[in-house]
Amino acid sequence: MKKKAAVIVGASHAGVQAALSLRQSGWQDGIVLFSAEADYPYHRPPLSKAFLAGEKDEEQILLRAPALYAEQGIDLRLGEPVEAVDPAAGTVTSRSGTEPYSTLLLATGSRARRLNAAGSELEGIFTLRTLDDSRRLKEALAAAGHVVIVGGGFIGLEFASTSAKLGKQTTVLEALPTLLSRSLPPAMGDFLRAYHESKGVRFRFGAQVAGFEGEGGRLRGVRLADGETIAADIALVGIGGEADLELARSLGLALSAGGIEVDAYGRTSAPGIYAMGDVAGFHNAFATAPMRLESVQNAVDQAKVAAAHICGADAGLTAVPWFWTDQYDLKVQMAGIGRRDATEILRGDPASGAFTLLQLVDGRLVAAHSVNRAADHMISRRLIADGTLIDAAAAADIETPLAKATAGQAAAAPAGR
Amino acid sequence: MSESVTIFFETHDGARIEVAARPGSSVMEAAVIGNVGGIEAECGGSCICATCHVYCDHVTDGVLGEMSPGEDDMLDLAAAERRPTSRLSCQIKVSADLERAVFIIPEAQF
Repeated sequence: MKKKAAVIVGASHAGVQAALSLRQSGWQDGIVLFSAEADYPYHRPPLSKAFLAGEKDEEQILLRAPALYAEQGIDLRLGEPVEAVDPAAGTVTSRSGTEPYSTLLLATGSRARRLNAAGSELEGIFTLRTLDDSRRLKEALAAAGHVVIVGGGFIGLEFASTSAKLGKQTTVLEALPTLLSRSLPPAMGDFLRAYHESKGVRFRFGAQVAGFEGEGGRLRGVRLADGETIAADIALVGIGGEADLELARSLGLALSAGGIEVDAYGRTSAPGIYAMGDVAGFHNAFATAPMRLESVQNAVDQAKVAAAHICGADAGLTAVPWFWTDQYDLKVQMAGIGRRDATEILRGDPASGAFTLLQLVDGRLVAAHSVNRAADHMISRRLIADGTLIDAAAAADIETPLAKATAGQAAAAPAGR
Repeated sequence: MSESVTIFFETHDGARIEVAARPGSSVMEAAVIGNVGGIEAECGGSCICATCHVYCDHVTDGVLGEMSPGEDDMLDLAAAERRPTSRLSCQIKVSADLERAVFIIPEAQF
């Protein structure tokens, strides 16, 4: 009889952090960390940027040294997807057999949504999620002249900046009339559009892909619903991610916002089963509704909280959500969760290439979107966490440090909690 | 391929860990690949999390490269106290000039 262990399914940012945090929190039993991928765990953000552009190699994007896992008593099973969970027996099944668990952590992440269009099987059409995807895309990009990106989201725009930097003729197809309108205020989308255009990227808004056209099995163009075909040697489909819910569904776990429903400790609806990272649906204290957050920060912070809770701590998730995107020489950083009903304050001049768009609700900062304003971003995280009342006039003055643009006493709780 | 550069990381309790760093990579990457604890590098080298903070007390002036305004801003908000020798290790490129340099790891990165 094998000793029961904490079994973690998924070894990206969330799964690896959960394993390390379990040890830091005093977990004495075994830890088995399953990964469907064959590679040692790596940072995902560089896959669409520095790795793809050849600025960093595979060793430079490792999350941790390969030797660390064994040293920490973490049994890392690479290239070994978990095929089934038997909650009654308390076991998971993979190709090497069954593994008993005392606690199960689901960090299965998300996967790239695919486009169901004619010609999707042609060679030269990519999605970007894993290191393996990025390796293949990198090779294809080097040989391509015309690059088409379906979807003007973060992955699409990051890839567009890499593609344009490499001198490729780059076209972004976006179904909506503006960029990133679901996640960012229009001013941010407009700024990014203009910046990309200044680097030679072309945009087609309101574009619907009717199908992919090829020759000899290879992609040659992307056909739009209006009949036009745009020449393409390669196409990246970046139309969002969806949570990998296969195991969760087989377990009958409650779902929320397209993910596995969890509470502030990462507990799912089933005893002894936690979920964290991209796959988790959660009502964050800084959001007005349950949501999934696909970000490194959320993966790391949810993993830490869950690991600590498994080891007996009683602190729920309180971290302010944040994420970033690097495009060209722009560092775009988002703190908090943007809201449509917010009052917007522009801090700095977008034409200067460095500014912050603040969003206030009831006089309190709920979100800050910064371009090349790292200090504003970092201060905003604290102001959002504390529910600080903001002096709007002072905040709009870029000469006034944001930390000094406060008004009155800090509120008891952030808006939306 | 140029030869590796020997650098050291000094932990909070005074222990020194030797790492063979690759020229062209960052000091942060050398720490991660060399399995040095205490360099978290949550953002993977994008200069936006300030969890790869080091003190460069024993590094010769002028070999570390210029600090960008972004790095300067992030250091103000690092978890451990900022000192005149503070840098983010993800922003320091490894070169032969760093041979036998010592980077001190602060007590906290979060």
